Amino acid sequence: MDVETVKERAGPREFSPADDMPEKYRKAATRMIQFHANSEIMGAYLEKPFIRQAPSIDRKLAFSAKVQDEIGHGQLLYRAAESLGIKTREEMLDELANGEGKFLNCFHYPMESWAEVPMIAFFVDGAAMRRQATLKSSSWEPYAHAMDKVCFEEGFHVKHGEDIMARMATGSRKEQQMLQDAFDEWWPRIIQFFGPTDDKSTHHDFSAEVGLKQKTNDELRNAFLDAYVPKAKSYGLEIPEYPRIEEVGDGEYHVEEDDLDWDEFFTVSKNEYEPGKGQIDSRKAAQEAVDWVRDTIEGDANLPGSQAAPAAD
Amino acid sequence: MIWEVFRQEKPGDYHTHCGNVHAPDREMAKQFAVIQHGRRKPTESLWVVPQEEVGEVDADEVAFGGTTDKSYRWAMAYTSSTEHAKEVIASQQEQEQAEADRQRGDD
Repeated sequence: MDVETVKERAGPREFSPADDMPEKYRKAATRMIQFHANSEIMGAYLEKPFIRQAPSIDRKLAFSAKVQDEIGHGQLLYRAAESLGIKTREEMLDELANGEGKFLNCFHYPMESWAEVPMIAFFVDGAAMRRQATLKSSSWEPYAHAMDKVCFEEGFHVKHGEDIMARMATGSRKEQQMLQDAFDEWWPRIIQFFGPTDDKSTHHDFSAEVGLKQKTNDELRNAFLDAYVPKAKSYGLEIPEYPRIEEVGDGEYHVEEDDLDWDEFFTVSKNEYEPGKGQIDSRKAAQEAVDWVRDTIEGDANLPGSQAAPAAD
Repeated sequence: MIWEVFRQEKPGDYHTHCGNVHAPDREMAKQFAVIQHGRRKPTESLWVVPQEEVGEVDADEVAFGGTTDKSYRWAMAYTSSTEHAKEVIASQQEQEQAEADRQRGDD
């Protein structure tokens, strides 16, 4: 199939591994799904230490279940990315380990206190879900199918995240202050989750033309603000003065994008932000620490009696 | 040789199991599947899989979903008075449906 035909036929779940897709499509889809998969993994690693800090057994159970889900989403997405035939899962995991793999801006920042947990588990997951719901209509069928399962599970994550936030928002004055401080720090990053405004986005046009993406960065960001600004306010959170957010009538919001730090965003996006580099390296260390598990499962070709996996035909 | 057949009704749908065919090789299995399973019901695509390649694990062997109370894994466990985003509501509805299906299976 040539690129023009792909653009003509592009629609929800239109293309599957049985179709002969042009390399340009397969590369664009790989880039997008690999980014998504990497983000699931890096988000899970960022949250993992807070399983131990959970303030009650119920929270600990729920939070560890959530982190486990996110790792599972990463696996699902690497499978969807592999189905394009450009990269293997091992290549993508190695790229993530050596700092070439790109992932979501929010997961480059360190997390230090429990008050930051709902910033990820409610706002970032809420933003992710808003985007993922639109990707159920992606033109790459394996990606859309992965989104079915991810969206099914994510409702628990967002509502649990909200529950953590609600508890702090109705807790002691100190807890409320900690929550507000975390919000002040995370809010601009959360808005940047959706990437730069459409005119500055480098990859949007082609991905939209071939149906991989369904909505533009701006549409998604505005839809997120419409739903989540009132949410934040309802928990008594004060929206920071900057970036300026304007209510443009009838429950719709618009953000002044020049108020956001795009230099930092692009540094983060290139994996050049210091805390993010540390997070990449610590996941790499974790990957290397369990090499022996993978070797045991997959069999070491150098050992007598072991045999290579049969080739798929 | 027996081949299990999975049918997809519309583009983008899941392939779901619909029966099997006898055939000596994959090409013949595909042809027989077309005739036996793609003739009347709406069909976009069929998969054929050698039956012996199918692994099965059933409810006698494992307790699907575990044996402890995992209600904390469900959106319904968390209540709040605020209005939820539409995709969160949709997710919860799917979970409620799955839970209802599971309960029915227990009867």
